[in-house]
Amino acid sequence: MAKSARSTASEGKRNLVTIKGIRNGLVFALAEDAPFTDVLTELEDKLLGSHQHLLSGSTLSAYIEKGKRQLSEDEEKALRRIFASQGELIVSGLDGPPPLKDWRPKDPYVHKGTLRSGQLIEHDGDVVVIGDVNPGAHIIASGDVFVMGRLRGSAHAGAGGDVLSVVAATYFEPLQVRIAGVVRRSPETYTRAAEMEFAYLEGNQMAVEKMSVLAQHRMRTRSSHAVI
Amino acid sequence: MGDAIVVTSGKGGVGKTTSSANIGTALALLGKKVCLVDTDIGLRNLDVVMGLENRIIFDIVDVATGSCRLEQALIKDKRFDHLVLLPAAQTKDKLALSVDAMQTIIRNLKAQFDYIVIDCPAGIEHGFRVAITGADQAVVVTTPEQAAVRDADRVIGLLEGVKLPPAKLVINRIRPHMVKNGDMLDIDDIVGILSLDLLGIVPDDEHVIRAANQGEPTVLRPDSRASLAYRNIARRILGDSVPLMNLEDDAGFFKRMKKLIGLR
Repeated sequence: MAKSARSTASEGKRNLVTIKGIRNGLVFALAEDAPFTDVLTELEDKLLGSHQHLLSGSTLSAYIEKGKRQLSEDEEKALRRIFASQGELIVSGLDGPPPLKDWRPKDPYVHKGTLRSGQLIEHDGDVVVIGDVNPGAHIIASGDVFVMGRLRGSAHAGAGGDVLSVVAATYFEPLQVRIAGVVRRSPETYTRAAEMEFAYLEGNQMAVEKMSVLAQHRMRTRSSHAVI
Repeated sequence: MGDAIVVTSGKGGVGKTTSSANIGTALALLGKKVCLVDTDIGLRNLDVVMGLENRIIFDIVDVATGSCRLEQALIKDKRFDHLVLLPAAQTKDKLALSVDAMQTIIRNLKAQFDYIVIDCPAGIEHGFRVAITGADQAVVVTTPEQAAVRDADRVIGLLEGVKLPPAKLVINRIRPHMVKNGDMLDIDDIVGILSLDLLGIVPDDEHVIRAANQGEPTVLRPDSRASLAYRNIARRILGDSVPLMNLEDDAGFFKRMKKLIGLR
């Protein structure tokens, strides 16, 4: 009874919560000017009531687009609680969907020579270092990182969130590797591999394999994406 | 026209001042006109190591601000006529020495001396930038410790950013028996990381400490291994090809036995 009363209350008014589907999840646009409690109520109705059948199934990323609205800590908690109770949606961002990836291949950045402590390469695309990357040096790439030499510093591939990125090095001894949002630090000692290795993401785990597996990794991930 | 060599390391306490004093003195020993320049404003040490502390009247900041002429601030060494020291200021602010003033001083010194050895302060801030300005080449001092090698690497990167030719590396305070046991980074590891040409290796030697306290550069003592190492470094700076010294301890049990038997 109470539920139907609520839905009639929101009827005739404009949508306070607009749901849009994007490639890798859903965007929830919250009306900027409506009282937050009304927005929450409508969100709860949609998630747990009217749209429930649409949302069941596999886990999806939810991107909340709050517009100009400032969320207090409690408001954010309340918001997250609703998503948590729904179960299938993971709140992945409060500032709208991630920027669309430009699928045109970007130019790689090639650095020739030793990258030393305190030096940073930050590039939107792949980064290739022909030389060593010393401890204290840092590479941040939105694409892959390839080091033709010793990788002893830190490397971050897929800095824009691309989980398919890899970090590869002739001698793979990094202090820290990140791929998208996953961080792994070095083991206490490296056993020196005889050949070039690369790090990639297997779900939420980082794995290191010899270079010859890279092609298979690429194939597998690409085909699994085609299914989605 | 002389050559200005800056001795730097990033990390403190690895032996920049000791190396500056010894390389400078060794060059003087080989007959070159040498000026040692201490740029560590506020924490000057080079004068102490050289035993010239009590002769300071003017310092580099006085020269920079025009309070005295360059020649007035140069202190002649006790042992060599052709070796002088331009001391740092102890009481002034470290910003008192500007890049421009330093460039002028080094240019003037280069007209008078064969080699100008510049002792750089620790760190990579203002003092470092001042010290490397005007230098023609750089010597990076490190010790076989991870932290020192890290800092050396950082400094080499910064040196690459200015127009200097690739720096040369001095590895100081090597303890051969620790390297042998794998407790200390070995020379190949360090050169591998820093990828620089090696100018010299200096074994850890008690003489160095004793000499520094007496205000007498180690290099003047012919019986010390560190002394020999610094003489070799000076010869390499002059362009001689001198093989790296063998760091094996020669005080092994059998050798001592043989000596004893030989004596008998």
